[in-house]
Amino acid sequence: MDIEDNTTVFATLKSFNSFLSCPEPPKRHSDQPAGSANLQINYKRNMELLDAAERVQSKSQYIKLDQEKKQMELSHKRARFELEKVATDSAQDLEREVDRNQDLLGRIKRLEEKEEDAAKSLSEQLGNNRVLRKNLDDLNKKVEERDVSLNTANQTISGLKDEIRELKQTVQNQDCTISTKNLENQSLQEQLDLQRRRYQQVSQLCQSLQSAQSSCSEHVIKIKELERRLSLQEQDIALVKTMRSEVARVQDLDKEVRRLRDDNAYLRESRENSSLLKEEVEGLRRKLERMEKTKEDLVNSELEKERLIEKLQAWEILGQSTGLNIRKPEDLSREVIQIQQREIALKEQNYTLSSRVRSVDRSQSQLQGEASQQRSKALEEQKKRETQDALVRRLQKRVLLLTKERDGMRSILESYDCELSHTEYSPQLSKRLREAEDILQKTQSHYEEMEAQLTKAQEETGTLKLQLQTVELELESVRKQQSSVAESNWAMVKEEVSLLRLKIEDVEGERQRLEEQNNILEMRLERHSLQGDYDPVKTRVLHLKMNPTNVAKQQRQQETEALREEVTRLREHLRSLKDAGPLALQDNPHTGIRGLGLSLPPSQEVLDLRKQMESLEMRNQRLKEVFQRKIQEFRTVCYVLTGYQIDVTTETQYRLSSVYAEHMDDSLLFKKVPQCGSCGIMQLMETEFSKTLGEMVALHLHHQKSIPAFLSALTLDLFSRQTTF
Amino acid sequence: MTSTLKGITLKGSAELVAEFFSFGINSILYQRGIYPPESFSRVTQYDMSLQLTTDDKLKNYLANVVSQLKEWLFDCTVQKLVLVITCLETNEVLERWQFDIECDKSAKEISAPREKSIKTIQDEIRSVIRQITATVTFLPLLEIACAFDLLVYTDKEQMVPDKWEESGPQIINQSEEVRLRSFTTSIHKVNSMVAYKRTDSA
Repeated sequence: MDIEDNTTVFATLKSFNSFLSCPEPPKRHSDQPAGSANLQINYKRNMELLDAAERVQSKSQYIKLDQEKKQMELSHKRARFELEKVATDSAQDLEREVDRNQDLLGRIKRLEEKEEDAAKSLSEQLGNNRVLRKNLDDLNKKVEERDVSLNTANQTISGLKDEIRELKQTVQNQDCTISTKNLENQSLQEQLDLQRRRYQQVSQLCQSLQSAQSSCSEHVIKIKELERRLSLQEQDIALVKTMRSEVARVQDLDKEVRRLRDDNAYLRESRENSSLLKEEVEGLRRKLERMEKTKEDLVNSELEKERLIEKLQAWEILGQSTGLNIRKPEDLSREVIQIQQREIALKEQNYTLSSRVRSVDRSQSQLQGEASQQRSKALEEQKKRETQDALVRRLQKRVLLLTKERDGMRSILESYDCELSHTEYSPQLSKRLREAEDILQKTQSHYEEMEAQLTKAQEETGTLKLQLQTVELELESVRKQQSSVAESNWAMVKEEVSLLRLKIEDVEGERQRLEEQNNILEMRLERHSLQGDYDPVKTRVLHLKMNPTNVAKQQRQQETEALREEVTRLREHLRSLKDAGPLALQDNPHTGIRGLGLSLPPSQEVLDLRKQMESLEMRNQRLKEVFQRKIQEFRTVCYVLTGYQIDVTTETQYRLSSVYAEHMDDSLLFKKVPQCGSCGIMQLMETEFSKTLGEMVALHLHHQKSIPAFLSALTLDLFSRQTTF
Repeated sequence: MTSTLKGITLKGSAELVAEFFSFGINSILYQRGIYPPESFSRVTQYDMSLQLTTDDKLKNYLANVVSQLKEWLFDCTVQKLVLVITCLETNEVLERWQFDIECDKSAKEISAPREKSIKTIQDEIRSVIRQITATVTFLPLLEIACAFDLLVYTDKEQMVPDKWEESGPQIINQSEEVRLRSFTTSIHKVNSMVAYKRTDSA
């Protein structure tokens, strides 16, 4: 810093000195000489002062620098001393470090040894480790296996648990069903017991009823028999009465009989007469009928005849009108056949004509085609001709030109000839001339050829025109033919068209009908498919063999079979009860029922039946008594009134013993022989007593055929015998 | 069912339809009272509660039929499934629940899944089962003991498996038919309908 400062001072000094050393401008000297001298002195003084100050300053500075230098040296020495000190310290440190290094080296060696040991042990350990790892792996595997087995065991356990649960559920369900079944069973058994009890009661009642009915029926039979006897007796009484009255009227009757016999003979004769007359009348009537019939036939035949005459007249008129000699239907039929044949022939003609028309049509179309072709050809030919004409014209023109040229050339040649008669150019010219003539000839020949061609072409066109005309003529003729044919066929065609139209309409109608049918059938098909129908060609219907319906049906069948078995069992049971029952029931109903294991409470019905039965029995009893009384009365009355006691020995045999009989054993036996009537005929059987009555039997039974008369006669006879004292 | 998040395969479709039949048959049996109502338990399926049988025999039978049906659906050889309800006393057919199955046989060659989500199919199935439940209102009451049978209409070429046998169509004499809704998995289309015996009063 100081140095720099110094330099600046020096620099200023220098600049100042230079400023001082340079000469002053003369103007100042001249303008202000006094003033400037003073200033210069002052300035010099100042400058001197400044120099002195500077010197002092520099000296002080110098001293200062010296002091500084001494200080610097001192510090240097001190620094060197310190450095040495530090060097010794560092040497000591170094030694210490070396020692330490050696120690460390030893240590390292020891450590290396140790490391080797450790490595050895490590390798050993690694060996051990490997062994252990292997063991560990084995153990792990074992553990995994155990885990797997544990899992499977768990799964099986869970499965078993599920099964247990399901089984429990099923067991519960079954328990429930069993309990319900038991309940049902109990109720059924109760019902069964009840039914059995009822059945026993009913059977008991039935038996009692049957016994009552049997007794009843016996009574009824008895009653009937008694009634029958009563009626017989009444009849007998009536017979006896009538016999008596008849006997009184016998003599009158004899007379009457005689009279009647006479009358009878007379009447028989008259009847024969009348029958003869009747026959005659019959014959006459038949004749009359026949006559009437013949009359009617006659009228009918006349009517028919008239009709036939009318028909015949009509036929004759027809024959006359038609001009044919139709007299008979055969003629007509022949005519018809002829007409039909003619028709057939006409039809054939028609067909041939139509076929011809068709062929003509075809040929016409062909000819038209040909004509068009020919026309086109003719046109082509015309064109050709025109071109040929044009060519000819052009050629004529050219010919004219050439002739003119030739004339010109000739004139030129002539002029040349006249000009060059002397000269030697004539050969050349003659050559040229010849050439020109040759050309001319060639052109002429060409022209001729062209003309020939032209004529040929004209000829061709002429022939073509002729052909065309002929073709046109043909066409016209064909057209005429066709039109004539068409006119003749027009009506037929119309008919055909109408027929075809009708047919088309029919077909259309049928088509619509079929469409409708088709729709209907489709609807039906859909309905069928809705109902479950199917196409057996494409489809088959399957179901499981063991479906619920089958199972249910089987169950049902089994049930019904079981029920049937039960029913048969019960029936057998009932039968056995019936067989064993009556005695027990009659002895003591209640104990009997108990003994058989059945106990039916007596129902209202049974009680009612019993009451009914009792009342019936009572009525029966009363009837019996009444009947007995009445019968006795009747018998006594009969005995008293008719004088005969009637006894029934066996069925249909009756013994009559008279009041007036001489012996107790004297009796008559009558047997009833069944006949169509309700009563039948009574026949007298032979007894000891009846043998003695030959006369009376012959008179009354054989001759008069009256049992009451016989009996009355017998009574009278016996009475007279007893009362003749 | 597993890989049908975006579309549906033939296998998935067959499984869906078979599942529908399982639930549908169960609900018909419950609704029509063919089996006692206490032998059914409530299950939630298709976002609605349905009845499933707990009768082991019936379960076994249905499982047999449905598994076989699944195979046929996968082969596209089944045409119809019919649930026939017969009267046990008279052996008369009283009701026929018919499910016509239209199989798209092209699905057998083209294995690519169809674009239809399970959600929409299940919605359709749900509406069909709802309708089955609703039919109870107009079907005549089954007052007598009845049993049911399942008929499967298959193609004629189909072999008849063991335990199965051919059967008649079990058509109702004089029936009324009612068409029900249908659903489609875009491979199988199922049209349902019920036919029942016309009663004299109706």
